[in-house]
Amino acid sequence: MGSDLVPSGLKYLADNVITKQNILGVSKEQGARWARKLALPPAAETVFFAGCGYQFSPQLEVLMSLARGTDKSVIGSELPMRFARFQKKLGLNLPGIYSNALSSGAAVEVKPLEAAVKVLRKLGIQPGYLAENEPCCGATLYHAGLQSKFAENARKAYKTLKKAGVRQIIGVVPYCIHALKTLFPLFIDGYDIEVKHFLEIVAEKISLLKLRYPHPVRVTYHDPCQMVRYMNLVEEPRRILRSIEGVNLVEPEWTHGEWATCCGGGGGFETVFPELSEVLAVNRVNELLETKPNIIVTHCPGCIMQLKDGLRKLKVKNVEVLDLMEIVAAAMET
Amino acid sequence: MKNNSDFKSYKKEIMGAAYNERLRLALSRAVKSFRANVKNALKKYPHTEKLADEVLEIKKKAIPQMEKLAQQAVAVIEENNGKGYIARTAEEALGIISDLVGTKKLIVKGKSMTSEEIGLREHLEEAGNEVYETDLGEFIIQKMGSRPMHILSPAIHVPREDVARLFSKIMGQEIAPDAEIADMVAAAREYLRDKYFRADIGISGANVVAAETGTLFIIENEGNIRLATSAPPVHIALVGMEKLVPSLSDAFKVSEVTWRYANYTIPSYVSMVSGPSKTGDIEKVTTYGAHGPREFHVIFLDGGRTRLAKYPLLRQALYCLRCGGCLYECPVFAVTAGHFGDKYFTGIGAVWAAIVNQDLEKAASLAYTCLTCGRCRQRCPVKIDVPEMIIELRKLLAEGEKE
Repeated sequence: MGSDLVPSGLKYLADNVITKQNILGVSKEQGARWARKLALPPAAETVFFAGCGYQFSPQLEVLMSLARGTDKSVIGSELPMRFARFQKKLGLNLPGIYSNALSSGAAVEVKPLEAAVKVLRKLGIQPGYLAENEPCCGATLYHAGLQSKFAENARKAYKTLKKAGVRQIIGVVPYCIHALKTLFPLFIDGYDIEVKHFLEIVAEKISLLKLRYPHPVRVTYHDPCQMVRYMNLVEEPRRILRSIEGVNLVEPEWTHGEWATCCGGGGGFETVFPELSEVLAVNRVNELLETKPNIIVTHCPGCIMQLKDGLRKLKVKNVEVLDLMEIVAAAMET
Repeated sequence: MKNNSDFKSYKKEIMGAAYNERLRLALSRAVKSFRANVKNALKKYPHTEKLADEVLEIKKKAIPQMEKLAQQAVAVIEENNGKGYIARTAEEALGIISDLVGTKKLIVKGKSMTSEEIGLREHLEEAGNEVYETDLGEFIIQKMGSRPMHILSPAIHVPREDVARLFSKIMGQEIAPDAEIADMVAAAREYLRDKYFRADIGISGANVVAAETGTLFIIENEGNIRLATSAPPVHIALVGMEKLVPSLSDAFKVSEVTWRYANYTIPSYVSMVSGPSKTGDIEKVTTYGAHGPREFHVIFLDGGRTRLAKYPLLRQALYCLRCGGCLYECPVFAVTAGHFGDKYFTGIGAVWAAIVNQDLEKAASLAYTCLTCGRCRQRCPVKIDVPEMIIELRKLLAEGEKE
């Protein structure tokens, strides 16, 4: 599939999207597991779109640490990605490794999704969730340059959504929302699904919530590229953070809002340049640490992974990386 | 990747750069001062942002008619007793300049990315000429045997301590690593001083060209280009065709926006050159070669630019004013400098590699190195949408061109 000029790391992700409807190529049931206890209706006009990133955070971390380990060795580039592509041929059981990562307590990682649903419910929105029927947005195909595959996937996804009676999507993963909102209409005539980002809704209705963080914290915000420079969501996260009692928002001098520095994980970059991507993560973390925060808040599963990795690399232990959804949910409970 | 070893060696090169502490030190200093300077420049001259919108419109109109503008400029330069040429390829441009220069000449050069693009200095040196780069940054690069790592500040990756060491070696006078930068500048001035007056030929590029008068606009601060283009008896200018705009007033606008975003709040010099030096002071008889050059040659280089102009999205790369602002905002460039590049750097460099130089392997390496984070677009005075171009380019690379 595709041309020889596409790096194998991206090809691996793209193959997974096409064959398994998720970037990791694992079963959809595995991905949808996070929502089990929430009892979300499997069909509704307004659905919550979970996307791959948060669902597979622990698995992606495993894959990336494999990739970074190998990228530094003499063996060469992208080897783990090739392993992954030919996992069956080589008898390497990646889905098995992923499941182990899940059972070893990493399941907490899906907290952001749970938090988002709780927040929406508090705001009087009862979304459905398509679970294992949720189509993949295919953004990875688009970013890899495989545009005809992306178009094909988008049309299929649209059909699935329409068949489920979906009229409105509320989503959280920046890449997915940008794809569903801006890219899908470019390839689908008469696209009629309203797509909103979770933060737009929360910012709009923020006055309905009384928010107090459990203890006073210094928080800095990292703007994900897709949020800030593709979807223009600059003020929304800040309005939300400022309305939480106990949260003191401190921003780096220059690199915030539309000038925020990329975490080093843009557009599948981390799969092609695992090691360089880590260098960039460290740089971004250093910029954010200048504000002396207790918590780095962001809102993208890719950014979270990168920033955590940057902190780990710098051996910083007293700073946490949390998703904005988690912060809001935590502030709601008190 | 088709040619995996190419990609691997490229990856090795950029990782080497990423772990180079000297490079990182120099870049972090540069980024900081660039941002502060541009902020101040735009605050002081707030009309610049509006002017930049006008410039975008000028470029949008000029690029599709580059060919016509080049012909117009050549005609008017010749009317004015200069010589104009249109070179289709880099080889053709090198050929024209070689014929003009010959061998065993002393040449002083102003900095020009276009001459880097075609390897002009190396070509002239191989033909037995003595060539001096006179821009301080370019001079450092030449003496280090390195290549430029930024379009405006070619030696951006070299911290001052390394410059001191280099100058001590080539100038035969000791410059301490902790010497004042002013001492290093003075040493270069002294070293190059007599070269201008002994030179047979001065070579420059141009930032903008007004087609209606054939006028080259050359922006600089050091004064080296003034000297190099007026002291020697011959001035040769090599200019990419994308630098042409229809009128003088267009050219003024493009110039002002270029220098402001290049963080020259007010450049010390803007030279406008339209022909050879002349006088009519004795009996009104026009005589050429008074105090400036007797000969004036302008070579407009196509070299794939008209091909690039045919791609609706990718043509934006030709709007680039080469202010270099985007480079300071690129997170990858911040650790690799020009190693993330080819003839030109970062995302625009990828487009250039693919369409102008038709080197698809190189283009793919660069295209997939772009984060598509979009901060460069935020900085760009003419709003070049690099992420959009990169996605389009990846599509061409992955799926091939469809008619």
